[in-house]
Amino acid sequence: MKRPGIILINVLIMVAIIAFVSVYIVSNDGRTKQRQTEHFENTTVTMERITENYLEGEQHICDVWAHYINSREMTMDEAAAFIRISHVLPDASAHLIWLDSRKGVSTRPHLGTDSDFAVSYAKMDFMSDTSWISEIGKSTNISRAYTNPMNGEQSLAFCNKIKLYDPDDRTAKEAVLLRVLPVSELEQKWIIPRERFENAELTLIDSEGNYIIKSKSFKNSNFLEFYKSYNSSNPSTIDSLHDDMTSGTGSFTIYNSKEEKMLLAYTPVLETSGWILLGLIPESDMNVNTENWLLIGVISAGLLLLFVIDLLFIRSFNKKLRIAAAEADSANKAKTDFLSAMSHDIRTPMNAIIGLTSIAQKNIGDDEATRESLRKIGLAGNHLLTLINDILDISKVESGKLNLSPVTFSIVETVENLVNLSQPMVKEKNIDFNFRVGHMEKEYLYADQLRLNQIYINILSNAVKYTEPGGSVSVDMYEEESPVPGCVRLTYRVSDTGIGMTEEFMERMFQPFSRQTDSRVNSIQGTGLGLAITRKMVDLMNGTIDCKSEDGKGTTFTVVIDIPVSDKSRDDIRLDPADILVVDDDEVLLRTAEDTLGSLGVSTDTAGSGAEAIDKILGRRQEGRNYDLVIIDWKMPEMNGVETVRRIRSDIDEKIPILLISAYDVSEIEDEAKKAGANGFVSKPLFRSTLYDKINQLLGKEVSSAETEDDHSDLDGIHILVAEDNDINWEIIHATLAMYGMTSDRAENGRICVDMMKNAAKGKYTLIFMDVQMPEMNGLDATRAIRRMEDPWASSIPIIAMTADAFSENVTECLNAGMNGHIAKPFDVKLVIKEIRKIKERRS
Amino acid sequence: MKKIFSIILSVFMILGLASCGSEDKQDSQKGFEPRLDKSTACKISIVGTYSNFEALEAEFDRFNQYYPNVELSYTKIDDYNSSIATVLSGNSAPNIFFSFSWMTGNSAYDSVFAKMEDLADSSLGLDLDCIRQGLLNRDSQGRVLTVPIFSTSYGMLINNDLFEKEGLKVPGTLQELYDVCAAFKEKGYASPLMGYSTDSSGCLMNTIAYPLFAANLAEHPETVTLANKCDPAAGEYMRPALETLSQLISKGCINLEECNKIGDNYTEVILRFFEGDVPMMICTGDTVSGTGKRESQSEAFTAHPFNYTFAPVPTTEKGGYFLDSPSVQFSVNNSCKDLDMTNEFMRFLISKAELNQMASVKRLITPSNDLSFDKVYAPIGGVSSDLTISPTALGIEDTLAVQIRLASYKVGTGAMTIDEAVAKYGTLK
Repeated sequence: MKRPGIILINVLIMVAIIAFVSVYIVSNDGRTKQRQTEHFENTTVTMERITENYLEGEQHICDVWAHYINSREMTMDEAAAFIRISHVLPDASAHLIWLDSRKGVSTRPHLGTDSDFAVSYAKMDFMSDTSWISEIGKSTNISRAYTNPMNGEQSLAFCNKIKLYDPDDRTAKEAVLLRVLPVSELEQKWIIPRERFENAELTLIDSEGNYIIKSKSFKNSNFLEFYKSYNSSNPSTIDSLHDDMTSGTGSFTIYNSKEEKMLLAYTPVLETSGWILLGLIPESDMNVNTENWLLIGVISAGLLLLFVIDLLFIRSFNKKLRIAAAEADSANKAKTDFLSAMSHDIRTPMNAIIGLTSIAQKNIGDDEATRESLRKIGLAGNHLLTLINDILDISKVESGKLNLSPVTFSIVETVENLVNLSQPMVKEKNIDFNFRVGHMEKEYLYADQLRLNQIYINILSNAVKYTEPGGSVSVDMYEEESPVPGCVRLTYRVSDTGIGMTEEFMERMFQPFSRQTDSRVNSIQGTGLGLAITRKMVDLMNGTIDCKSEDGKGTTFTVVIDIPVSDKSRDDIRLDPADILVVDDDEVLLRTAEDTLGSLGVSTDTAGSGAEAIDKILGRRQEGRNYDLVIIDWKMPEMNGVETVRRIRSDIDEKIPILLISAYDVSEIEDEAKKAGANGFVSKPLFRSTLYDKINQLLGKEVSSAETEDDHSDLDGIHILVAEDNDINWEIIHATLAMYGMTSDRAENGRICVDMMKNAAKGKYTLIFMDVQMPEMNGLDATRAIRRMEDPWASSIPIIAMTADAFSENVTECLNAGMNGHIAKPFDVKLVIKEIRKIKERRS
Repeated sequence: MKKIFSIILSVFMILGLASCGSEDKQDSQKGFEPRLDKSTACKISIVGTYSNFEALEAEFDRFNQYYPNVELSYTKIDDYNSSIATVLSGNSAPNIFFSFSWMTGNSAYDSVFAKMEDLADSSLGLDLDCIRQGLLNRDSQGRVLTVPIFSTSYGMLINNDLFEKEGLKVPGTLQELYDVCAAFKEKGYASPLMGYSTDSSGCLMNTIAYPLFAANLAEHPETVTLANKCDPAAGEYMRPALETLSQLISKGCINLEECNKIGDNYTEVILRFFEGDVPMMICTGDTVSGTGKRESQSEAFTAHPFNYTFAPVPTTEKGGYFLDSPSVQFSVNNSCKDLDMTNEFMRFLISKAELNQMASVKRLITPSNDLSFDKVYAPIGGVSSDLTISPTALGIEDTLAVQIRLASYKVGTGAMTIDEAVAKYGTLK
């Protein structure tokens, strides 16, 4: 539904609620008002009773006087004298007037005099016709309010016709006895309940509407005139009004002189000549629940507020939805872009693999061409593998499912591995490569080795990749004290003289699929995921990664990670006392080597060049103290390591053990070095353990020529059980092992593998390569089953996972299941052989 | 969102306009600045002769806008002329009471005058300048004990539509009056000039003659004293007035037979005029005051309403005399309760706006110096000053007025000749 529709519905609901509340309140107020009105009418009737009682009481006194006077044949003066004696009320008086002349005497003197009792009603219209005065005791004969001629006060007169006698001839004459009371006397009798009707007024009118007692809101001299003056009327409505008021009790609404709506209650005053008591009160006083309108106001304001808040919320919500939709679109586009990029990036090596395979098939007779094709297929395959690994890693990083699987590992091995991996490219590009290890006390650390390797390799491989041939790449690694207890702070810094990065690219270099747009870069293979993964992994390890780069001049990446130290230690390794000469043009390496060798318990001398080394060896010889060992860097200016070895062998000593240091793959110089007389090779960086092993190897055993890596005779006779459901994979591993002189049996799934182990003779298999995902029983369950076997040989047989599940958690899972190692598919043959050798050595 | 802003703005606009409206109301009440505590609570009573005094009661409401707790009431006093002295001495003595010009010089009212406050006292702050000075009666000490609330005059109601219908011009001189009457008579109007004629009180004869007599006295001010003292020597000054009256009757301008059909000098005079066939109805301003309320009571007028005005009867070739007389006057009881608030009310009331407002409601002639506000009395405002006569300023007393009333009635009805009436001045009853 569109927004106007929602707003309309909201408004309609609000209006409906307000209307309901209003109707309810109005209805409730109406009932309350009705009750109030009835109550006011009843109050007016009560006042009428009081009035009536008062009037009847006063009339009764007048009747008693009249009876008495008539019964005694009194003269006017005698009657006046009698009444004066009977008077109780101070404000009351009595007038006795002759009916014919309407003159007579008052029982009280004229105001301001003591003896003037004469009174005249000659100009009083109500005395011109006295037919309204009934017989004594028949009714209340009361005059209209008039001005008492004796004191000027507005008064009422209760009247009776009497007979008075002429004092001279004692003839009877008709007269009227008036018991005169101030109007205020009656007003004082009216006590309206003020707490409920604070603004109520009472007025008494006669049958013609003339006021007898008039309260302040009543205007004019006549109520009907008052009504006509301020209310719309015509003669018929006035007649109707008059009839209603004289015939019963009721109420109606009128407007007063201020145009205010008033409630007028009326009730006839009984026993009088059509008098009516009127009660008047502002109609607003009948509305007792005015607070309810406040309630409506509050409800209205509340609904309006809710409406506005809802509107704002919906607006905000819609905005978020729009943003989410945009993000979804963007994500979708990113996904499309990603798939497009992946498609491209996967198809490229795949194209190479398929194309080169076709070429190789066609050139099957041409060994050289076939070898070249296979080499390139291998490169393309490796790239494809890297790409897939990166994609899997980044997807795990993005989904937050990347977990670390810490294990105890040797940083020495890590560095060696790092150097080994980088060697081919370094060599290929003829890059000056330096790997310097600084202060490194702790060899065994506890971390996710796989991820740490990934971090280091990514950075190093980038440095090598983006450095032009002839450039240099240097790696510095050193250990510092960490603020985190139980950790060491490992700093890994890779500097290159490569193409560098632009500032703009540096801002987004950690975003997935970010590759610098540069003609120099386009020719370099890459997924654009490496740095993103690296950054995430460094973050996961609570480390920092810093980058300084200048476009065209080079880049320096520094990774600092606090890594827990493992309990495992080789701190006790010590060499027998020996005198060793280290030769290198690199001062840093010399100092590092001096420190490291010193910690191994040997004395160290250093030489900055081949020539200096020869001089020192000669000097020692002259002193009769030969060095026990000479360690020479291969790459040195003027005289390189091989030449130095050759000169030492030819000029000085044919027997002195010499180790050649190289940061590169020694295979390139192996033959030449051996010919020159080198006894062995040691790779940079010079780790304590590496040096220990190599020196021990040379000094502890007879000096022999360096081993050739092509000698696999030690692997002959090894029989391996391979649990693999996939025929091709089985074929590959079977053939690979056979290439190295090993034999293998196949188990098509975990169940068969377990059965074969149950039935195998002791020592039949040296180890098991176990696939993980297999039908019937997977590799993990099979491993557990084997580990549970009673036969100690079977239960302890080394089991190496060989699986495409290559994540660290998969590795951990395998180790937890009881396996001894993990090789990811597609496997690296070297790794397989290395792993087999390790096991063989351990077994022996 | 725009709609919400619109609604909110509308609410503010309405509130703003409402507040502007209330500001206007405040502005309209400017002019009178209360001097006393506005929360003062008291009662002020006013007594008089009127049965109805709606105009004054309307003023109560207006005064209550400033002093809401002051309760004002008006009460008619029975036999006012005889009772007022007693009333003023009684327990319920009023704060303000009616006073009349005829009371001046009458010893019976000495006690009444003794109760009157000097309203010219500058400390009271009454704006007496807003009243036509000819209506103000200052005593020998310069005191103003009575302030006119309404004024009255003698003249005629003119049915302007009838003149227009008959193609005649409202007369401005005596000759034009004769001519117009003749023309109306020719058109079948039995009595172009009508009025109440069955009793001397309020009769048309006096309404015609009195202004002429007063004008004559004004030309001979030395005779006013004689006339007031009912000296027969002053009778001769009535002659011109009586002669004009006789001529109007003898020329057929006034048909007394028709006039005698009018039962009283107030309601019936008005209702007869509203019949619509009377070109000119002679009456006083007091009678005119009843016209407004009776328009709706007259079926003839309701059916065929017409435009009418009140103007002096053109009894001379210069025009008609505007006899500018006080009608009702207010006096303040100098010993009443709450005298301060009473004077505050008088200060409120004695202003051009309030006096005109009251005159408008009552349809009496305002005593203020602005006569233009009421279209009925508008012609009076056009009377030149030389034709305006103030009996108060002239010093005319009630005795003189009674003599000319009786003389004119008797001459008009033929009960007495002009000579007889002139000769019997001072003794006419």
